Amino acid sequence: MDKFLLTTRCACNSCTIFARRFCHIVKAGMKPVLGFLFFLSGIGSIQAQTPSDAIMMKRGELCFALAYEYGSFDEYWEGTDLRKNETIATVSRQALMPMVAVGIIDKLNFYLGVPYIKTESSEPNGGHLQGVDGFQDLSLALKYEILNKEIAKGSLALFAAGGYSTPITNYLSDYRPYSIGNGTNEWSLRGIAEYKLEMGLYARAAGGHLFRGQTEAERDYYYNNGSYYTSWMDVPNAWEYSAAIGIWMLDNSLRLEATYYGLKSTSGDDIRKYNAPQPTNKVQFDQVGFFGQYYIKPIKGLGVLAYYNQIFDGRNMSKSTTFGGGLTYQFKVLN
Amino acid sequence: MRKNIITLFICSCLGMLLVASCENELPTRANYSAYDFTGLDVDGGSWTPILLNGPGQITISVPEDVSSAAYQAELSSLKSTIANLTGDQRDIVNYWTNNPILRWNEIALELAAKYNLIPGPNDDGTYTLPNPANPAGPPPFPFAHPPYTSRALAYLSVAQFDGLITAWSYKYEFNRPAPSEVDNSIIPAYGETDLPSYPSDGAVIAEASRAILTAMFPLEKDYLQVKADEHLSSLVWAGANVESDVSAGKFIGSEVAKVALSRAANDGMKNAQTPKPKSDSIKASAFARFGWSWTNQEIPVRPVGLTPLFSKVRMWNVPSLESVRPGPPPAIGSAEFEVAAKELQDIQNNMTEGMRKIANWWQDGLGTYTPPGHWNRFAKEFMIKYKENPLRSARTFAYMNMAIMDAGISCWDAKYFYHYPRPIETIPGFKTILGTPNFPSYTSGHSTFSAAASEVLSYVYPAEATLCEQWALEAAESRIYGGIHYRFDSEVGITQGKAVAKYTVDRAKLDGAD
Repeated sequence: MDKFLLTTRCACNSCTIFARRFCHIVKAGMKPVLGFLFFLSGIGSIQAQTPSDAIMMKRGELCFALAYEYGSFDEYWEGTDLRKNETIATVSRQALMPMVAVGIIDKLNFYLGVPYIKTESSEPNGGHLQGVDGFQDLSLALKYEILNKEIAKGSLALFAAGGYSTPITNYLSDYRPYSIGNGTNEWSLRGIAEYKLEMGLYARAAGGHLFRGQTEAERDYYYNNGSYYTSWMDVPNAWEYSAAIGIWMLDNSLRLEATYYGLKSTSGDDIRKYNAPQPTNKVQFDQVGFFGQYYIKPIKGLGVLAYYNQIFDGRNMSKSTTFGGGLTYQFKVLN
Repeated sequence: MRKNIITLFICSCLGMLLVASCENELPTRANYSAYDFTGLDVDGGSWTPILLNGPGQITISVPEDVSSAAYQAELSSLKSTIANLTGDQRDIVNYWTNNPILRWNEIALELAAKYNLIPGPNDDGTYTLPNPANPAGPPPFPFAHPPYTSRALAYLSVAQFDGLITAWSYKYEFNRPAPSEVDNSIIPAYGETDLPSYPSDGAVIAEASRAILTAMFPLEKDYLQVKADEHLSSLVWAGANVESDVSAGKFIGSEVAKVALSRAANDGMKNAQTPKPKSDSIKASAFARFGWSWTNQEIPVRPVGLTPLFSKVRMWNVPSLESVRPGPPPAIGSAEFEVAAKELQDIQNNMTEGMRKIANWWQDGLGTYTPPGHWNRFAKEFMIKYKENPLRSARTFAYMNMAIMDAGISCWDAKYFYHYPRPIETIPGFKTILGTPNFPSYTSGHSTFSAAASEVLSYVYPAEATLCEQWALEAAESRIYGGIHYRFDSEVGITQGKAVAKYTVDRAKLDGAD
């Protein structure tokens, strides 16, 4: 997911964080589109990922963000084999992602987001299956600035972030590729480092771990390299890692970023031949993207953002392409 | 402030680890251990078998007396083996229990789920069918769809049942006591029992099950051999049988499997999946008769539906297809049809979470143990609840699985005789929440299978009859909610399944077990 990319940055640095969370959310949305991957499931995950960004809002600042994204795929990895499937044809996933970020203190920011997601297949398709739409997960996250230090001709900043997400509707996670999410709680821990030169160039790297719970299917038997006599499915935990290179331009009103995001489940089964994915699948993917954000100077606090992401390698994941755009508005509530 | 925040972080990290570590352990099999049987069915050897003409059709030698040197040598070997059991061996003993019919049924269901994968299209848009002559494929053989699975379970259960009737007959003819009755220093893992130990009922089950399942799932030959070897060894490890008990039981299992598999080899299943010209002619006859026909809606189109001639497979207990064939469905476009079509559209537009749950609960689609498997799972749970011995369990499975297979044959007869199109064909723009199967609509397989299974279980467990009937009706309803069947497919399927099962229940009532 390109959580990074999405990271919307509110005009100010502060908002950025927020935006990122959104991004994550957005990405989550994308993932579903992609495939059945559990991405979908994980709006929550997205939030957790938020930390990828190195921007902090000051105490008393508030940022609202709203992003829309459209992702689609007509190929996916069945295990590690890339294939097409006319039963589902091209699957699209649209997501509308409202987010809020709050500067609790200068070094601690809070994020909240709730995406609305809609999935469907293009026509004609061989499966004639209904798509799904609905609110996905509530995501909450905290980001803390551990260090911010001048080094050489730039500054190094380190952050830690923790997130939690939980489904807020009774969507079915076991209806892939149309499921809108993983249908389980997710806790995340992330570390982020960014080095920024005075001239505006910066590089960022982040890594994190996603602790996923179990999701409840509406059947009490399934096959996961053997029989399971329960409606509960283990959603695999995952490692995620990301990197970005970016630059601030036009007097710090435009930010452009090239991004990489990778995710690796720590366990799980492969999608079986010509069979539907399920939440237990071992999902992996690598994604690259671009992200841009522009702060509209005449309107204080308002920013626009746009991004593009492409998954180029994966396992039990859709080869999704995603476009997104949004608005961020940041302002001070307290002095 | 900073310290507090760091503390908060550490606490939340620990919290996450706790949450992550207390996820539920997920069950992969029935949670039961050896239990005291409600009864031993001492007269079980006199029950009427399904395929054998009687227990005497398979002959075993008279066992050595327990006072003989040969028996005593086996007994001391058993004692020294038990004295040196490893933890893994004890786990194996606990796994198999004293009613291993349930475990072998679970193994069969797991293989059904493993092989219930429909072959996808090749790159050029053609489809390749699984081929028993080249089981490795691709695609692998078999595609364990519901008719295939119903048949595999029927042969498995019938062989187990006939084998155990034979075993029971010899047990009470020779009356060789269990090892712990001969030597009270032996503490049997499954408890003391009055059931004579020669021949071993466990060994009959192990060998018959291995042989039948290997024929049905040829790629699992090695896996099944390992399971059977473990099971046979566990009989001695448990202190339940000496070696000569085991070898006599194994012989019966092997012989009864041969009888069952010779029926299977010529029951018509190998012709059930027809070539395209035959399939086209079946479709053309239906169109000439009724003015409609079913067409696969997948992309690329599958040239032949699933097993058009499953209807020609030899039934177990029903005299003729015509005796249970339902009347025709409403003509497409008729008032009755329009009512059913409108109901489907209303459901699509107003799907409740309850409807969705019912559709998914009973889906038992690709990648699962199929509806016949679902009913076997219910039966297994009743067997545990009522503490049945292996012979009783085998009987219940045998009659239920014969009725389920007969129901499938009758249902497939209606499906290809009437060749009725699916809702996605007749209702423009209609979408479903379940995948539409590759065969005609009328009547519903789920409904027919479920009604037949429910009828047999209601006969065996009268106290559960209401529950079973509710389940069958819900299974039938689930296909309407799923958008893949009209109400009349389901309702007529229920009637049909009951009519089919009546023949099986009537037979069961006369087998001497009641």
